[in-house]
Amino acid sequence: MNSTTILFLILYFLIVSGVGIWAMRGGAGQNLEGFLLGGRRVGPLITALTLQSTSMSGYMFLGAGALGFGEGYWALWYAAGDIGGGVLNLSIIGRRMRKFSELMGALTSIEYLEKRYPSPAIRLIGAALTIFLLGAYVLAQFIAGGKGMALVTGMPYAAALFIAVSIIMLYTLLGGYLAVAYTDFFQSVIMLIGMVWIATAALAEVGGLTAANQAIGALDPTLLSVWGRDLAFEGRWGIAIGAVMVFSIGCMGWPHLVTRHMAMARPITARRAGGYATLFNLFFVSTPYLVGILAIIILPKLGDPELVIFKVAEKLLPPAITGLVMAAIMAAIMSTADSLLLQTGSVASRDIYQRFVNRHASEQQMVWVSRGLVLAIGMVGYLIALLEPPTVFAIVVFTTSVLGSAFLPAYVCAVWWRKANTPGAITSMVSGASIATAWELAALWDPTGLHPMLAGIVGSTAAMIIVSLATQRIAPVPDYIVATMDAAARLEPSSATGTSTA
Amino acid sequence: MFGLPLATTLLVFGFPVLWIVYTIGFLILSRNWEEDSANEDEEA
Repeated sequence: MNSTTILFLILYFLIVSGVGIWAMRGGAGQNLEGFLLGGRRVGPLITALTLQSTSMSGYMFLGAGALGFGEGYWALWYAAGDIGGGVLNLSIIGRRMRKFSELMGALTSIEYLEKRYPSPAIRLIGAALTIFLLGAYVLAQFIAGGKGMALVTGMPYAAALFIAVSIIMLYTLLGGYLAVAYTDFFQSVIMLIGMVWIATAALAEVGGLTAANQAIGALDPTLLSVWGRDLAFEGRWGIAIGAVMVFSIGCMGWPHLVTRHMAMARPITARRAGGYATLFNLFFVSTPYLVGILAIIILPKLGDPELVIFKVAEKLLPPAITGLVMAAIMAAIMSTADSLLLQTGSVASRDIYQRFVNRHASEQQMVWVSRGLVLAIGMVGYLIALLEPPTVFAIVVFTTSVLGSAFLPAYVCAVWWRKANTPGAITSMVSGASIATAWELAALWDPTGLHPMLAGIVGSTAAMIIVSLATQRIAPVPDYIVATMDAAARLEPSSATGTSTA
Repeated sequence: MFGLPLATTLLVFGFPVLWIVYTIGFLILSRNWEEDSANEDEEA
């Protein structure tokens, strides 16, 4: 363990903890809207980068590099969609969701669904899916954080995991959404600098991209193709399209991401945030996959592919820079873990506890209940992460595919389709989650040639359309909801709409 | 380009171009969103 690396990490941890304290003093804990949504006053740059860093996670430093290392340029199918994920999300649902959620008084992304599709079943199913899947996703980030910290410091995994989890929980508990959003911003900048630095060093090591590709082609030409090692995915467009969809269209169905729309300062924030998101992604998204591909030449005998980015940094960068890069890697992991932890705690407190257990809890009580549940979920995640369950990549792809499949039609139709009703939304959520889960667990992508995400989204979208149309007479969308949808669609200040917040 | 087959070149460079075009289109088409926030507070 070198002292520069440790110094960078300590400095980094002090800064993120300081942001947590600053956010708490800035009123984050005064009421539930302040704790869960930062008082809806987050600007475009922070919105863009919290959206991006949350969606990318430790996956970008562990899973993405490993995929590039194992499959070559096939991995870029995932990056192809990811580059546009932010702007797609913000342009399609950002502005309308921000307005609709405020008009209806929704504080969590699951409460938002119940306001749009009024039924306790929506809240219960949505909350259960979110807590289970985001809980698993948090777990993946904890494992990534523990592995990264252990590698950097040389500490045993259990101790490294404890430190990583404690710091994430500290600032999330203190500052709520505002702390998460501002630390995400800081972490995004560190991630970008660190990743570009590693990629530059890797390119210099291999003599440039053309020389690297020639060397890789000499080893195995299939690694340069778009169909993976040994052309394992050749002609399987259903899998390639699904890979593009996971981090583009799919992320419109992720409850922890769409919450970012609800916290924006103004509806127009979505516009500038979309521009910033694309700019950030153009420089960042493909880079870890590329480093993984270059590592085929740099580290041909690498044992654990998930450590490829760490190992390339360790081999090529001087100790002073390695510290910064290691902080970047921890930043990527922590910026997602904090958002997931807060979102899971928020849903458990607001959508389960307050909705079904104690409807009369005061604002202050709810802030403390939220903090308590964040702490409890974090501790359970820590204990499970100690056992080091499946790989980070496997957990992330599973949870994101199921989340996207379950919630995508519900969130998009909420603001774009007046006929989308409660039975349609329930059927869509259940069928999307079931299809994607079955596809993953039974490995149906192999015989069918369809990515779980693609199969899940087709199923949930078809269910939304068919069931909504079939049940229009027995379950029409209430007039006040249609009126609020119209108000959210119109270009006028929210305060001028005069719509009920039922 | 860069020693890559054509299909891979399109995957690596074509998608980013597509998203740049999409973003520019979005920024142009959403110019009138300013009306949506006319009377609201400035962000943090």
